[in-house]
Amino acid sequence: MDRIKYCAGRILRAAVTMSIVLSAVFLLLRLLPTEGYFGERTDAISPQVREQVLKELGLRDPWYVQLGAFWSRLLRGDLGKSLVLRRGVDVMEIISSKAAVSFRFGLASLLIEKLAGIPMGVLMARYRGRFFDRLGSGFVLLVSAIPGIVYYLLIQLGGSNLLGIGMLYTRGDIRTCILPLISLSLGGTASTAMWMRRYMADQMNMDYVRLARAKGMTSGQVSFRHVLRNAIIPMAQSLPSSIMFTISGSLYIESLYSIPGMGGLLITAIRRGDNPLVQALVLLYSAMSIAGLLLGDLLMAMLDPRIRLAGEPAG
Amino acid sequence: MTELVKVMGQEAGNADPVLSVRDLVVKFRLRGRELTALRGLSLDVYRGERLAIVGESGSGKSVLTRTFLGLLESNGRIDSGSILYDGYDLAKFSREREWVKIRGGRIAMVFQDPMTALNPLRTVGGQIREALLLHSRISGAEAKRQAIRLLDDVGIPDAERRYRQYPHEFSGGMRQRAVIAIAAACTPEILICDEPTTALDVTVQAQILELLRRLQSKYGLTVIFITHDLGVVAEIADRVAVMYAGDIVELGSCREIFFDPRHPYTWALLSAMPQFGERGKPLCAIPGTPPDLFADVRGDAFAPRNPQALAVDFQMRPPYFEVSPTHRARTWLLDPRAPELLPPEPVRRLQEAGAKYLLQNRIPDRENRPALHEKQEAPEPRKSFRNFRKEQAAQQSPVLEEAARRLRLGEGAGNALRRSLGGGLGQYG
Amino acid sequence: MSGFTELHFQNRILERRMPDRRPGRTGAGQKQGGLPGKREPARQRRDAAESTVSGRGAAQRRTAGKAEPSAPDELFIPAGGSFAEDGSSGGPGYSYLKSTLRVFFSNRVSAAVLIFLMLLIAFTFLQPLLPGQKSPTEIFINPETGTQYRNVRPNAEFWFGTNSIGQDLWSRLWFGTRISLFIGLCTAAVTAAAGIALGCIWGCARRWDKLFTEIYNVFDNIPYTILRMLLIYILRPGLPAMIFVMSLTGWVGMAKYIRNLILIYRDREFNMASRCLGSSGIRIVLRNLLPQLIPVIMLNTALAIPNAIGSEVFLTYIGLGLPVSVPSLGTLVNEGRSVVLAPAQRYQLFFPALAVSALTIAFYALGNAFADASDPRNHR
Repeated sequence: MDRIKYCAGRILRAAVTMSIVLSAVFLLLRLLPTEGYFGERTDAISPQVREQVLKELGLRDPWYVQLGAFWSRLLRGDLGKSLVLRRGVDVMEIISSKAAVSFRFGLASLLIEKLAGIPMGVLMARYRGRFFDRLGSGFVLLVSAIPGIVYYLLIQLGGSNLLGIGMLYTRGDIRTCILPLISLSLGGTASTAMWMRRYMADQMNMDYVRLARAKGMTSGQVSFRHVLRNAIIPMAQSLPSSIMFTISGSLYIESLYSIPGMGGLLITAIRRGDNPLVQALVLLYSAMSIAGLLLGDLLMAMLDPRIRLAGEPAG
Repeated sequence: MTELVKVMGQEAGNADPVLSVRDLVVKFRLRGRELTALRGLSLDVYRGERLAIVGESGSGKSVLTRTFLGLLESNGRIDSGSILYDGYDLAKFSREREWVKIRGGRIAMVFQDPMTALNPLRTVGGQIREALLLHSRISGAEAKRQAIRLLDDVGIPDAERRYRQYPHEFSGGMRQRAVIAIAAACTPEILICDEPTTALDVTVQAQILELLRRLQSKYGLTVIFITHDLGVVAEIADRVAVMYAGDIVELGSCREIFFDPRHPYTWALLSAMPQFGERGKPLCAIPGTPPDLFADVRGDAFAPRNPQALAVDFQMRPPYFEVSPTHRARTWLLDPRAPELLPPEPVRRLQEAGAKYLLQNRIPDRENRPALHEKQEAPEPRKSFRNFRKEQAAQQSPVLEEAARRLRLGEGAGNALRRSLGGGLGQYG
Repeated sequence: MSGFTELHFQNRILERRMPDRRPGRTGAGQKQGGLPGKREPARQRRDAAESTVSGRGAAQRRTAGKAEPSAPDELFIPAGGSFAEDGSSGGPGYSYLKSTLRVFFSNRVSAAVLIFLMLLIAFTFLQPLLPGQKSPTEIFINPETGTQYRNVRPNAEFWFGTNSIGQDLWSRLWFGTRISLFIGLCTAAVTAAAGIALGCIWGCARRWDKLFTEIYNVFDNIPYTILRMLLIYILRPGLPAMIFVMSLTGWVGMAKYIRNLILIYRDREFNMASRCLGSSGIRIVLRNLLPQLIPVIMLNTALAIPNAIGSEVFLTYIGLGLPVSVPSLGTLVNEGRSVVLAPAQRYQLFFPALAVSALTIAFYALGNAFADASDPRNHR
């Protein structure tokens, strides 16, 4: 019962946050340079015509009028039409065609991250301070410290030489997915391993582990039946976010391997000055972020019996 | 040696020690230095007794019992000495395979804080069932049935429903009952209770102690209590070991420790009981702090805090002196050459009270009472401290008889004590 | 004077008139010979204890006697005057900061990294003052041919070679490192200052908690990279915009962290005590809370620097960084990347990439080592 109340409250809170954040983002986007509303003919248009266009778009209205109009359009599912990239095409159409590609890559790499990262973290925690732990910690440090671009390039150069495959992604050739997937999943693997190790180490210091050992369980049994179970649950919290954000793709990797995904879309839109597309993308990402956190909390409420109505999950 | 063991065993209702600790030295590495947590400690635990180990924080009580289960922190190790149990020397155990045979099934433990001792993400029932399945070959369904019975047994009402609940749905006292149920599920021979009531409300404390006493007689357990609460000791213990700075400074039956303490530390400990506080006067506190166990302790570890320490206390470590066959203390005060010191006022009052009761109520000797490990059909009514004192008085040793004669009891002294003790300890009864 | 001592003052030390009245004594009682007859029972019991039962005491004594000479009689006097209020010292003194530093420096790797980083930073800032250094922006012309030194591989003249328009990579690299470090340090400083100040207000002023939480939610729910890209676009790319934007997204995390820690520490006993004694809120924050937070602040600051350096590389990569005319590590990596397909010119990527990696790894390693060292659980 409490749990249902908690979930309802949490959803309500997310809705409030969502409306505040989307409004804030919309107002922020009013600061975008206005060149982005005329497509590619900016220079050809006289100032009078510009003002005219802006007025027609409603951009010269007071901010609250614009905000109201924005919300009414948003609730009808209308995010506007692209002005530059694919003129006149609904932005949602542009986004969804690209998102599918990123999503497939992202999901595969997420799977690799968890499958590699969790066992790695568990082993690091079990052999804390010993060779494997040091090796793993070194890996985590390298991957999280070196800027992505550096090791992505390294993987691309080294990998394509070593495996004798092309540097770029070609549709339908599964071998060309290997390097982008390795690059994509490396960072996530490292952070999964690091968090897993930390959660395991935290759990191992808990009193209940002592009780479990005092009842006569071997440390292997304690690790699997108690510690691992408890340590994996906090990992679940970020899972929905991770899954959702796979569609945003990776800017670096997609441009390195010229994968037609979402990664470069925002930056292209910004550079080319396609303001409606920029707005749609930023709103989409913000909404995804809020929804991801919400789903994470709801998932936790299902997994962790201690979630109380009071808000934050306990312990 | 063997003679002593026999006599002390008889005192406890049984002749053989179930667990024998000999000259145990435990060291810890801490911040690059070595700390000696136990300094050559020896102790026999007898079958079916309730032994209390008292001492202030850091005296090594918990360290001692952890060694019985091989659950020392990773930076601690047994330096020398032996822990004999059932033909094994637990001090020599190094591999988990060996320990698993002892833990739970032979020696079980109840921890101090029930709020954290249970896995918060698994049902209470599941955790009890797990203990059952570890130690007996039964089916899962049977284990569940037994787990529910155990929950019922430790006084958790509506056990069927409670079985499916999570620890956070239990109150502190209920969780401690669940922890005790887990310990009982292992069917151990020895149950170690590491401050089982410290984290609980006073009213719940008494219930938990009562439960432990009931389980002890029902299953014939040997129970070792660790506590710094002398009220708990008085309530439950047959025998008391007083620990200070990694060693047992005095060991005797409960009445001997309360009514005829010999070690200045025991005096100080008893004097510091709030029950002896007088209105308007500050409570007795023991001055100073325990010795630095990183350094070698010279002489009597308590000497620096003992205003009446003898010169010899600073030079040589005292041996154990026998006070009675069941009572020994490590203090030079018991050497015939030592000057006679009177214990502090509250202890004198205790001695007087003990002696007075002895003179007034001649109650049959302890041998006639049922042995401790015998199964008792009906749960015995909760002992009030009054009863406890009667019982104590009933068990006076010849030592106390003489003490009583010598002390020539003053009228009214006993009444004052009764008042103060009755008032203070009433909460346990 | 404590109660216990007081009690003992009331006691008188009895003379040795009745030494064996205390029954059950064992040990060297022989010297007490000639006991009055009425005490016979006690003596008998004691003797019995000595010969049979008291094995424990006697045995213990014997072993003790072997180790050191048996206690001389003259020591059995009160040690008078030793009313030590304070016993021997209660364990070794523990100082949090000292232990943190000790653990930190006991790890040789982290000490080495610290020294390496300090030397690197010192050299970065001293490099232009050294003799014989070239300008990072000058385009070098080959006097013989009159053309630019394009893509010259590392040699005695150009230590790290030249880029595609004939600029000296060695001096460009150090210039770029300076710029990147400057960005990193500025960002870290602004982040720390803003984070601490706002975090303290957030944590201490309960009235404002809701407002701050809402602001935090807004910032936290827009992905940082996107916010950064957007803001830089709005503000027009440049060094000040970059520092501003990175700080703007950085303080939030810091403030949240500080706020949480303050909430944890705020209600600890010593602060309660302090508040009861009438200390003002600000005083509590400055005197009690902030010292507890120093390790966390240092850790966050240490990690903010490599983050900023990495972000600069990223922003430059997507074209929202510094102008190409200003060499930063980002522009250098970017330049190097553009020639990566020609294996002979990969040195142009190699050196900047190495510099970025070395810097960020060093700061990360340092931050993590410090985090480990500041964890009291590691203070063994």
